[in-house]
Amino acid sequence: MWRPLSRRRRERERDEEMRAHLALYEEELTARGRSPEEARREARVRFGNRRARLEEIDAMTRLPLLDALSRDLRYAIRVLRRTPVFTATAVLTLALAIGANTAVFSLADTVLFTPPPYPEPERLAFVVARVEGPGGLDEQLSHDTVTWEAVRDQVPSLDAAVYFGGVSGVNLNVGDRAAFVEQQRVSAGYFRVLGLGPAIGREFTPAEDVPGGPAVAILSHRVWQREFGGDAAILGRAIRLRGEPYEVVGVMPAAFDETGEVDVWTPLRPSRSGEGGSANFQIVGRLGPGVSWDQAQEELRRAGAGVLRNRGVLEEEGRFGHLAAAPMVDVLAEGNREPIAMLGAASMVVLLIAAVNIAALLLGRGAGRSKEIATRMALGCGKRAVVRQLMVESLVLGLAGGALGVLVARVGLSGLQHVAGTTFELWADAAIDGRVLLVTGGLVLVTSVLFGLVPALQASRLQPQRALADGGARGVAGGRRRWPGRALVLAEVALGVALLVVTGLLVRTFVNLRGLEPGFDPAGSVRGLANGSLQELRAMPGVRAAAVSLQAPYTRLLNWSYRFAGEDAERGTMVNASYVSDQFFQTYGIPVHRGRAIDATDGPQSAPVVVVNEAFVRAFSADRPAIGRRVQLSGADREIVGVVGNVQQLDSGISFEGRVDGPLIAMPIVYLPVSQAPASLLNAVHTWFRPVWAVRPQATGATAGAIAQAIARVDPMLPVGAEEAVAAMISRATAGERLMMTLVGVLAGAAVLLAVIGLHGVVAHAVSTRTREFAIRLALGASVPATVGGVAATGLAVAAAGAGMGVLLSLWAVGLVRGLLWSVGEYDPATYASVVALFLVVAAAASAIPALRIARLDPAKTLRN
Amino acid sequence: MGRRRKTAGEGDLIAGTLDMLILRTLQAGPAHGLFIAQSIERRSDDVLLVEQGSLYPALHRLEERGWIAAYWGTSESNRRARFYRLTPRGRKQLRAEASRWESLVQAVGRVMRPAE
Repeated sequence: MWRPLSRRRRERERDEEMRAHLALYEEELTARGRSPEEARREARVRFGNRRARLEEIDAMTRLPLLDALSRDLRYAIRVLRRTPVFTATAVLTLALAIGANTAVFSLADTVLFTPPPYPEPERLAFVVARVEGPGGLDEQLSHDTVTWEAVRDQVPSLDAAVYFGGVSGVNLNVGDRAAFVEQQRVSAGYFRVLGLGPAIGREFTPAEDVPGGPAVAILSHRVWQREFGGDAAILGRAIRLRGEPYEVVGVMPAAFDETGEVDVWTPLRPSRSGEGGSANFQIVGRLGPGVSWDQAQEELRRAGAGVLRNRGVLEEEGRFGHLAAAPMVDVLAEGNREPIAMLGAASMVVLLIAAVNIAALLLGRGAGRSKEIATRMALGCGKRAVVRQLMVESLVLGLAGGALGVLVARVGLSGLQHVAGTTFELWADAAIDGRVLLVTGGLVLVTSVLFGLVPALQASRLQPQRALADGGARGVAGGRRRWPGRALVLAEVALGVALLVVTGLLVRTFVNLRGLEPGFDPAGSVRGLANGSLQELRAMPGVRAAAVSLQAPYTRLLNWSYRFAGEDAERGTMVNASYVSDQFFQTYGIPVHRGRAIDATDGPQSAPVVVVNEAFVRAFSADRPAIGRRVQLSGADREIVGVVGNVQQLDSGISFEGRVDGPLIAMPIVYLPVSQAPASLLNAVHTWFRPVWAVRPQATGATAGAIAQAIARVDPMLPVGAEEAVAAMISRATAGERLMMTLVGVLAGAAVLLAVIGLHGVVAHAVSTRTREFAIRLALGASVPATVGGVAATGLAVAAAGAGMGVLLSLWAVGLVRGLLWSVGEYDPATYASVVALFLVVAAAASAIPALRIARLDPAKTLRN
Repeated sequence: MGRRRKTAGEGDLIAGTLDMLILRTLQAGPAHGLFIAQSIERRSDDVLLVEQGSLYPALHRLEERGWIAAYWGTSESNRRARFYRLTPRGRKQLRAEASRWESLVQAVGRVMRPAE
C-alpha cells in the first residue's frame, strides 16, 4: 500500500522511537557508572547509523516500482518537451489514428451492441422460417396467417404478435387539416410483446383485430404533439386515414418514437385469404418467464412442421424447413455488421500503421539518443531501467495522443453522422460514452506497447563504450541497426497497400453501380408523392408528360406471379409487376424497343394488355417472340403488346434466368395499365407500395413545385409528400456504397500518407546519419547521381518489397469484403496494378526528396566539422 | 541511482533469523526495542551481538506483516518507549519458524557429524 501521509507520520514515530531507545540506553549505561560522554558515545556505537535505518524503513514502506515510474514520468515529459517537433508529430499521428478508431468503435457500439429500447430486449425474437435446400440455408422473416396461427396456438413459450413488416405513407386528416404520415398495421398484443404500451388509452384488443373489426388507431407521441398539440382529450377523437374514418384509442409514449418513423398504427386483422394467404407478415415474440430458448425453439420446430408444408416452400426441389426464433438484437444488427467490421478493420490498420510509424520515429530518435542512453548505462543504469524509461515515454506519447484522439473522434463522429445522413439511421444515436472511452484507453495502452517495445529493446542492446566512442553522427552503411526500422516501414507499406487495394475495389464497385445504364433518361424528370390528377398535371404550363405508376425505377417492385396462357404449369412464375398510366414510358424516357407503349386507348373496356421489358423476354420468352403471347396475370388473360428497355430496380429477391446478383438489378417486369388493374389488386398492393407521380418538364428545372401546385388546385386537403428529382433517387439507391467508399477511402488515404511519411523518414534518417560517409565517398570521387540513387534505391527497395507483401496481404483481405463488392472481381488485376503503381510513384518521390540533399553536400565542409 | 542497502544484520545473523529471535523474545511478554536487543545478547551469552539499530527495520517488517503489534508505554525507569507484543498470528508464525529452525539445525548437524 502506498500512503504518503501516513508514511510521513510513521517516519516521525520511528525517529522518536529510536531517540527514546538511545536515551534509555544512555541512562542505563550512566547508571552502570559511565560518564555521560562515554555513555553517549557507546550508545551511538552500539546502535549504529540511525539515519540509515530510517531510510531503510522508509524504503520498505513505499513501492519501489511506482516510485521509479513517477521519476521516469517526470523525465519522459522533460525529454519530450525538449523535442517539440518529434513529439507533436507523434502525438498528432496517434490522435488521428485513435480518433478514427474511437469514432468507428462508437458507431459499432451503437449499431451492433446497443439493444433496442424495449425492456429485456434479449428475450425478444423474430420467428423465422429456416429453409434448407440445395441452394443453402435461407432464412425467411415473413409468414402467412396459417403460420401465425400455428405460432399463436402451439407455442406457449412465446408471447407472440404479428404485424406487417413495411410501413406505408398515408394521408391523415384531422378536421380540415391534412398531414402525410407513416402507417403500420399491427396485431392485438403487439405492444404488450414489445413491452412498451400506450401512454394514454390502450392497445388493440383481439376483438378489434379481426376482419371487419372496428376502425381504431393508435398515434405516436410525435404526431399527437404535432397534429393535436398534445391534447389530453385525444381518446375517441375521429381522424381520417386514406380518407376512411378511424377512432383514436391510444397514444404511444415519447420513448417509442425512437423505434422508428411510424406515426399511426391500425389493426392488422390477419385472415387466411388475401394478403394473409402468402408470406406477408412478420412475427415477434417474447420468451415467457421461466422458459428457456431451447424449449421455445423446440415448440416452434414442432409447430412449423405442420404449416411450412402448406406454404409452398417445401414443394420446391426437396427443400426442408423449420420454424425458429432469431434474437431481435441479432436481426436488427444485420446489414450493419459487414460495413462496420470493414470500417473497424480499416481503422485498425490505420492505427497499426500509426504505431509502426511512431516506432520508426522513435527508432530514428533512438539512434540520435544513443549517446544519452549510453551515458546513463555507463553510470550504472540497468537495461531494464532503460527499457522501462523508454516505455514510459511511449506511454506518455500514447496518453497525449489518446486524449487528443478523443477530441478528433468527437469531431469525426459528427462528420460521419453528417455524411451518413439518413442512409444509416442508427448511426445518429452514436455517442462517445464511458464504454467507448474504456476501449480508447485500451487502444492507447496496446498502441504504446506496440510502438514502444521494439525501439526500447533495441536501445537496451546498446554497448555504451562503442556508442560513446562513436560520437553519434558517424554511422556508416551496413549497420545492422537500421534493419528494424526498415522492417517496420515495410510492414506499414504492406498494410497501406492492402487498404488501398480494398478501397480501389470499393471505388470500382461504386463506379460500376453509378455507371449502370439506368434504362431511362433521369435528367429533369421529377417524381412526387401525391394523390393528384394527371389531367391537372399535364395542363400545367411547362409540363411535357406526366404519369403515375406503382413504385418507380431504382426502388423495389411488387413480386407477382404470372403464367403464359395455355401453358400447363402447376404454379405461376414470379416476376416484378407495376401498374402504369399512359405516358409512363415517355415521362421516364424508357425506350420502347418493339410493339407499343401503354397509352390512353388502354381503358377498362378495351382488350387487356401488358408491356414487358427485355429482361422478361430474355428470362421467359427467349425462344419465341414475346409480342402477341398472352399471359395470365391477376385473373385475366392479357396480351403482350410491347417490349421496353430494362431499368434498374432494387432486388426484390426473386430468381430468374440470367440474373446477375447485386444491389441493383435489371429485373424482369410486367407493366399493366392502371386502368385495367382490378380494384382488388389495387387495394392489396396499396397496403404495401405507393403510387408515384412523375413529371417530365419541357425545360430542365421548370417544374419545381409543379406537382404541389397542381394538386393544391385540385384538392387543398391532399398533402404532397416528398418531391425529389429522379437523379437524387438514383444517388439514394447507391448511397450505402458511396458512404462505404468514402469512409474507407479516407482511412486508406490516411494510411498511405502515414506509410509515405515513414518511407521518407527511413531515407532521411539514412542520409542524416551517414552524412560523413557520403562526404568521404564524394571526396574520393564518387559521382553525385550514383550516391543519391543508391540512397533513394534503399527507400524504393523497401517500398517495392512492402508493396509485394501488401499485394499478398490484399489477396487474403479482399475475402473479407467480398460481400461489399459488386461487378468487380476480388482479384481484379487492374486495381492491384494501379494501386502498386501509384504507391511506387509516391514512394519514389518520398525517397528522392531526402536523397537529393546529398547533392547539396559540401564534402570539405562536412568533413571539417 | 545507487543500489539499495542490504538489510543490516544479514552479515551477522543467518538471514531471517533475527525475525525469529525477536518473535521468540516477545513470547515472554511485551518489550521495547532496547530490551529485545539486550535480551537476545544476554540469552545468547553475548554470541549474537545485534547492532541495535538493525532491530528497527525488522520490527517494522514484522509489524507490517501483522505478527507483532506496537503501543507507546512507559519503561521501568519511567521513560516513554514503544512496546511490542506478539499477535496470535505472530505466535503461529513463531511456532512454524521454530520447527523449521529445529529441522535445519538437525540437518546441518547430521552433515557436520564426523564421518564414521
